[in-house]
Amino acid sequence: MTVRSPALRQPRTRTGLTAWAGIAASVAAVALLAVPGRAPNLAGAFLLASVPVGAAVMCWVDSGEGLVQAGLTLVLSLAVTAIVTAIMIWLTVWQPRALFAFAVIGVVSCAARLVRGGRPCCAERR
Amino acid sequence: MRRPAGARGASVLRGAPVRRSLAVQPGLLLAGIGLWAFGVSQIDRQAIGPYGVLASANAWFFLGLAALLAGMVAELSRSRPRAWLLGAFLVALIVAIHTTVPLLYGGTPEYAWVYKHVGVAQAFGQYHRVTDTSNIYQEWPALFTTVASISSLGNAGPLSFAAWGPVAFELADGLLLLGIFRLLTGDRRLPYLAVLLYEGLIAWVGQDYLSPQAFGYLLWLAIMAIVIRWLLAPTPAHCRWRFVNTAREFLLRGRPTPADASTAMRWIALALVAVIYFAIVAAHQLTPYMALLGVAALVVLGLVWRGWLVLGLLAVIAIGFLAPRYGLITSQFGGVFSGGDVFENASGSQGILHKAAELRTGEVVHVLAAAMWLGAAVAIALRWRSLGRVALPAVLAFSPFVVLGVQSYGGEAIYRVFLFSAPWCALLIAELIAELRGTLRPLVSALVCAAALVAGLQGLYGPTAVYAFTPPELAASLWLYGHAPPGSLLILPADNFPGLEAANYAAYDFQIMPADPQNGASFLDEGSLGDVEQWIDSLGHPSAYVVFSQSMDNYASYFGYPKGYDQLAKAVAADSAWRVVYRNADVVIYRVTLG
Repeated sequence: MTVRSPALRQPRTRTGLTAWAGIAASVAAVALLAVPGRAPNLAGAFLLASVPVGAAVMCWVDSGEGLVQAGLTLVLSLAVTAIVTAIMIWLTVWQPRALFAFAVIGVVSCAARLVRGGRPCCAERR
Repeated sequence: MRRPAGARGASVLRGAPVRRSLAVQPGLLLAGIGLWAFGVSQIDRQAIGPYGVLASANAWFFLGLAALLAGMVAELSRSRPRAWLLGAFLVALIVAIHTTVPLLYGGTPEYAWVYKHVGVAQAFGQYHRVTDTSNIYQEWPALFTTVASISSLGNAGPLSFAAWGPVAFELADGLLLLGIFRLLTGDRRLPYLAVLLYEGLIAWVGQDYLSPQAFGYLLWLAIMAIVIRWLLAPTPAHCRWRFVNTAREFLLRGRPTPADASTAMRWIALALVAVIYFAIVAAHQLTPYMALLGVAALVVLGLVWRGWLVLGLLAVIAIGFLAPRYGLITSQFGGVFSGGDVFENASGSQGILHKAAELRTGEVVHVLAAAMWLGAAVAIALRWRSLGRVALPAVLAFSPFVVLGVQSYGGEAIYRVFLFSAPWCALLIAELIAELRGTLRPLVSALVCAAALVAGLQGLYGPTAVYAFTPPELAASLWLYGHAPPGSLLILPADNFPGLEAANYAAYDFQIMPADPQNGASFLDEGSLGDVEQWIDSLGHPSAYVVFSQSMDNYASYFGYPKGYDQLAKAVAADSAWRVVYRNADVVIYRVTLG
């Protein structure tokens, strides 16, 4: 751990929690999708569509309210999933497995947030 | 330091009631969940009549809901309510409200129109492209492609999870609403009370099933959260017209200072709004304009940072998507501006024929809707000296009415107006209640929330026997699509059966007998078998599959239409030309060859 990783030591900040949640959800989603069985696969698919991308964004943005933070994480993920999958249909390049990229994006962005630490992006003027 | 024995005893005595009261509410939570679950397990699905689940439920069911409501109100009346417990009560209530019907009907999705949505998602999953450009769902595909991708990755068809759409959407909506209300008020109780009230108010409106509008609504709430958190201007921009500034000054007097945000963060927030809005635009036809109306109302009041830019950006996205598809909107809804008759647009679904049970349930929800808007109006009026305190929820509560001036949306516009108005009305009413003092506050909270919940649940559960389908009915529908050759003619005597849920739904000629005024043309008398056979013959197929089901029987007795349905069911059963090709406990499918 370097001196530039205060967020790793401050997991209880909203953005820190979002980052940890994003990493956990991304890893859990991939693991659930890798396990044989319809129930874990379905849970993994929902998790993949509902958390990683939103967490990748919201781990940098502090809403100042935990419930809004969680809600925006969910909605941003769903919105991006909706747009990406609609584009796949319009371009006739249907590849749902490409959504695994969301997990990668989620892990990379959230890990970067934790390693870099510091104040959230574009914090308010004090 | 040791304390005297007497002092220790006194402490224990003083603490006991406190600990008891601390444990009462968690106890009510657990008891409420247990009683509700036991109550649901004891409800006989077959006994659900035209007045719905509430009229057929047992005491355990009501005791469970009452315990959850009482526990939450009791917790709200504490000087320091526990947020986790209030959240748990809300989750329990939402789960209880929206899983009762799926649990009673074995996880089969409610509402015939949900199956159409499932079919579109299945089609995207199987054919990987838009297969029918005349299908409005395929042209606004974002929700369906999302469902198709989850279904594909999860190796499970949408039918396996569609029934749980309402509870999932309501939980997500509740999460965002709670967050929004917490941004808007410093009171710890108010957001929970407002969401509790909201859940009762909107229970009946039935816009949370697996559908583009439920998805769009959730996304709209996120846009509102972003606007309220980052895009509210500290002071309204100066307008060149003096009367505008004067009006704004009056309307915004006493307005609380919005949360601060850096310029960079505001631009990021604007980008997030654009992304979410594009997803709404690609998912549903009406929601983008409902969202636009809300934002526009805030912009006119000067409440939004760079408001005209925000509005312009959203308008460009909406119109840019709509323009190439406008022909479809014109063909199905007569264009965006289909009619300016506010009263006709507000009258709901056209041609609904009222029989006793349907009429009573309809009256209950009409009173609920009127009470909601009246309560919100009173809350605004009582703050006329400092309207700024309620300007934001007031504007958002009443701006959706503008849509009634331009569209009926197939009779559904008024329901969307209610839905988009409800959160802010709930907040305004909850604020009024929260200002009451002493025992009046918990008493009024309990009464208002209980009344809203009972009325909302009657609206939601009233037509359950009609709109919910049994597993045998779904099995019959799946059998039909599995066995009838593509190109076959599939006929429903009443428009109430799971249909069009197969990926190749478009390969079938799916027809509803024209004997129900609720569906438009109704020239056929189903009581005349000859007329029915003549109509089938006119469709130009050598044979037809005709379905009769329990939910169609319930539909016919609930609405009184289609005309002659019962006679037709009896006549075909006795006619040798109508051959039974499938039968289970709730469905009979005939194959008839004519000509």
